[in-house]
Amino acid sequence: MKWPSLGAIASVAYKEFLHIYRDRRVLLLLIILPPFFTLIFGHAFENTQLTGVPALLIDRDQTERTARFIEIISKDKTFHWRMPGPDFQNESDLIGNRVKAALVIPSGWTDSLNKGDPKPLPLYLDDSDTNTASAVEGAVQQNLGTFQAKERDLIVESLPEDVIELGKKLPVDIRKQFVSLMTAWNAEGKNLYNPKSRFIDYVVPGVIGLILQLLTVTLMACTIARERESGTLYQLLVTSLQRGEIVIGKILPYLAVSICLVAAIMVLSSWHFGVAFYQLHVLALICLLFLLCSLGLGLLISAFSRTQTQAIQFSVFFLLPVFVLSGAFAPLEQLPQAIRYISELFPLTHFCRAFRLVNMYHAGASFYIVDLIVLFAGVLITFIGAAFLLKRIEQ
Amino acid sequence: MNEPVIVLDHLSKSFGDVHAVQDLSLTIAPGTIFGFLGPNGAGKTTTMRMLCGLTHPTGGHATIADADVWKDRQRVRTKFGYVPQRFSLYRDLTVLENFRFFGGAYGVPARELEQRIERLLRLSDLEEKVNTAAGSLSGGMRQLLAIGCALVHDPPLLFFDEPTAGLDPVHRQQIWNLLYDLSNEGKTIFVTTHYMDEAERCTEVGFIESGRLLAKASPRALKSSFRVRLLEIDVEPLMPALVRLRGVPELLGVSLRSGSLRLYAQEPEKLIAQWRQQWPFPDIRLLGERWVEPDMEDVFTAYSQGYDGVLKKTEL
Repeated sequence: MKWPSLGAIASVAYKEFLHIYRDRRVLLLLIILPPFFTLIFGHAFENTQLTGVPALLIDRDQTERTARFIEIISKDKTFHWRMPGPDFQNESDLIGNRVKAALVIPSGWTDSLNKGDPKPLPLYLDDSDTNTASAVEGAVQQNLGTFQAKERDLIVESLPEDVIELGKKLPVDIRKQFVSLMTAWNAEGKNLYNPKSRFIDYVVPGVIGLILQLLTVTLMACTIARERESGTLYQLLVTSLQRGEIVIGKILPYLAVSICLVAAIMVLSSWHFGVAFYQLHVLALICLLFLLCSLGLGLLISAFSRTQTQAIQFSVFFLLPVFVLSGAFAPLEQLPQAIRYISELFPLTHFCRAFRLVNMYHAGASFYIVDLIVLFAGVLITFIGAAFLLKRIEQ
Repeated sequence: MNEPVIVLDHLSKSFGDVHAVQDLSLTIAPGTIFGFLGPNGAGKTTTMRMLCGLTHPTGGHATIADADVWKDRQRVRTKFGYVPQRFSLYRDLTVLENFRFFGGAYGVPARELEQRIERLLRLSDLEEKVNTAAGSLSGGMRQLLAIGCALVHDPPLLFFDEPTAGLDPVHRQQIWNLLYDLSNEGKTIFVTTHYMDEAERCTEVGFIESGRLLAKASPRALKSSFRVRLLEIDVEPLMPALVRLRGVPELLGVSLRSGSLRLYAQEPEKLIAQWRQQWPFPDIRLLGERWVEPDMEDVFTAYSQGYDGVLKKTEL
């Protein structure tokens, strides 16, 4: 095997660059998609809390006390309340009423509170997405808690003098216990690693990874398949170019384009969303390994496919599970352990983890070295695999 | 005579049960324009692809300038240029960019490349189209460009797979003139074709049928391989006569040529003697008869149809 010649690689790279440059539609895609995706994803995930959930609130009790509760809960932005009259039936038909939840204050509720036997409030929840229901229930519970505390304060304030005098007869330590019990107990959260507590800081590697994986894999996957389809591959193979020179020459222009895209996304997220980047040289290394790994994957798909259509289909089949299972947009910990083993196979998983370890945790190399090694192994495996498949074309 | 440039030694290629090329042995001397003839699917393209190192032989071997076309393919590739049947240059690249790319791919030194491209542009008559995308060229110009790109590393041997298929007569002529120029420069040319008039322009012709070589000789020698004389008759009406004559058991074949019918028979003299006595078709008039020299088309028809007794057995 001869050592690859720089001149030969440059010829292939320049030709490949011309293909990208001449295909104006793809070029447009390359220029428009990255900033578009960054803006869309950045804003889409800015706030992960539920807001404006359409819900019904039916007050069948109609007392001063229920009015106070309604005043509290109607201020909660989680809900967008509709409040029909007390005679409204059918509250459990959520879809018919076009709401996600229905809260009912049954008649006699105030009475039950006064009698020391509080009735529960019926709450109907749409659990179809398994997410909204628990969030809404939590919000209702929280509002009830607030209401309860205020009612308690009201009762305490309106206690007659003699009752207070009576209370003073209790031993001091018991009285203090009561005071504690009457105050809400809190955990005081100190959020670390994301000082501004913004999702965009978390999701930036996801956006970079998503766009780059999408573009590099699909574009790269088409390069060899296109030559096979148009017959130029054989013309290429009868030249004195070696396989290594063809592969490296084809990778280079796409690598250059991808590096520009990463830079564009990082500049935009820093300028528009104020995301800060830490240890740029380490981030650059992580990006480079990830890019090479994605390009290698594209190349592998390309050498494997007979036509461009097949190449695109294979790319999509590969990319879909990656987006769902790679932890690009949500913590991997949401997935069951067995699935997480599959996630570990995707370059995007390791890219996002390493990127976050550096940029959010400011962690040392020992934390992310395994991810870098996995990415590097991915580069080797895909490139060697592609070269092997290319050899088979010649038979 | 010079050492042969190309040597095929029992070269075979099978795809499973399909024997595309069987036991093909032949040699081609330098400076030859070798025309490789045969019907569609006879194995012409497969042979050429084996010689170009694009597919490996399943039996026998072949050498180009003493280097094995498969084992030494990386080395052999600098020695030939290949123009495949299908236009296989980059359509989105301009004429000049295609030239430059293939120059680079063949490792032509940069300082030589510009001069060589200039010369090839003149040779292929594409000087005015330098900045036109290859995909926008007409069929003939595309083919000239493809030939030009195959010449960029100045190889001593050229493979052309049906270089004139689908081209108009003017462009066919232009391509052949280019081939003569190249031959005149001492290059060896291996060309497949369907056109019999083109076969006549080769210095040597090989017939291949179902993967087997049937004959290899100069066009003159091939034509003289006709053992029998060729009878041509004028009849009226023409088409009914053609259909009826095909049914005559003594006739191996009938072909229409410039308004006359050419008859292939093992003993044409006996047949015409019979007909002179009694013409068997009352509704068809026999207007005239003559003996003609066989051309390449007759030879090709006789070989590919396997007409028994019409051809002398030639030694391969």
